Amino acid sequence: MNHSPLWCKITMMDEPELIQAAKHGDLEAFNTLVLAYQTIVYNTALRILGDDNLAADAAQETFISAFRALNSYRGGSFRAWLLRTVTNACYDELRRKQRRPTTRLEPDNEEGDEVETPRWLADPNASPEDLLDQAELEHAIQHCLDDLPTDFKTVVVLADIQGLDYSEVSTIIKKPLGTIKSRLARARLRMRECLQSFRELLPAAFRLEKERGI
Amino acid sequence: MTAPTFNDLVRLSASLDGQLSSQELSRLESEVKQNPSLAIALEDLRQSRGILRQMPARRVPRNFTLSLAMAGIKPPLPRLVPAFSWASVAAMLLFIITMGGNYLGKLSFGAGAPLMAAAPMSSEGYGVGGGPSATQAPATDNTQSNPTEQNLVGKSPEPTPLSESRLAPPAAAPTPKQPVEPIRIISYLFLGLAIVLIAIALLIRWINERSFHRKSGKETE
Repeated sequence: MNHSPLWCKITMMDEPELIQAAKHGDLEAFNTLVLAYQTIVYNTALRILGDDNLAADAAQETFISAFRALNSYRGGSFRAWLLRTVTNACYDELRRKQRRPTTRLEPDNEEGDEVETPRWLADPNASPEDLLDQAELEHAIQHCLDDLPTDFKTVVVLADIQGLDYSEVSTIIKKPLGTIKSRLARARLRMRECLQSFRELLPAAFRLEKERGI
Repeated sequence: MTAPTFNDLVRLSASLDGQLSSQELSRLESEVKQNPSLAIALEDLRQSRGILRQMPARRVPRNFTLSLAMAGIKPPLPRLVPAFSWASVAAMLLFIITMGGNYLGKLSFGAGAPLMAAAPMSSEGYGVGGGPSATQAPATDNTQSNPTEQNLVGKSPEPTPLSESRLAPPAAAPTPKQPVEPIRIISYLFLGLAIVLIAIALLIRWINERSFHRKSGKETE
């Protein structure tokens, strides 16, 4: 779904040759790989960090680090190797953000506490057409993702948004399969709870019933 | 109807991704049939997964291809590098020769001056035991004795103007002509050549870096 045709073409055809050439300093070969993987790398960073500019910086940093550390790549999935690099770059950025906390967008309630539910984002005056707008839905999903703990968010981004299989996710975050399964189950449930607040934005097939619960 | 445990939820979630064996899957399916709360949980997980999988991929804001500078690739060495190295070596040698030549020249000219000043004095019979000077013609007459012989027979030397001249300042002595210093001219030539070689080397380097930056600038565009 998110894989560009260019990525498929390169994976099937000459990825090992391009990697080999890049290892010998061929920048043009490496840039071909960059063009093939930049969408998945950027989108992974975007979903983990939730910020366009930070995601672009993380993606650029990933490709620079990847080129410099290409000799440490010992075969296997090049995509997984790149995604591990971008995930680490995102973790670094999140740690940096924690050291320099910024003001959240959520408003405070009467007691002065942050309103944790994202319900405030839904505009009660907006028309149903506007509510169904893709950008709004994306915004809502991103909001729910941002509320997840980083470890859960990474797993859900890699497995559900990027569509990687469990073994690849396990390779990327260096955790056993059991951990991936449990984190993904928890993350999906928390996403479901969060998305209930935006049920008007969801396509009809995915409407969640408010009354239902586990 | 019992509420699903966390382990049930993990199995339900994994079943959506085909991560259960056929045996585990068939057992879970029978449990779901018997327990409606499991069926509801499965549906919730499926919907949540479906929404996330529908998340559109954003277009990249720009290409993340690397420029030469980003990749940390330094400008390639110019083709003239070997000549360049030899030029550096030659320049260094010429510089050493120039400096060394100057120094040696100073030493030799400095040492020669007193000798040259002393030569006319010895020709006039100055000093005890001094032989004839190289410029003095050999004595052909036996009656003409060498002034040193006179000294040897025990005659006390009378004070002569010569002994006065001994005390006289050296300025009184005739100053020798300064010879031409060819080594200086060669030194200057070598120094000039070294400067030219260094200038050419720097020029080649500058042209090479300029062309590299122009090329990397084009690639970034």
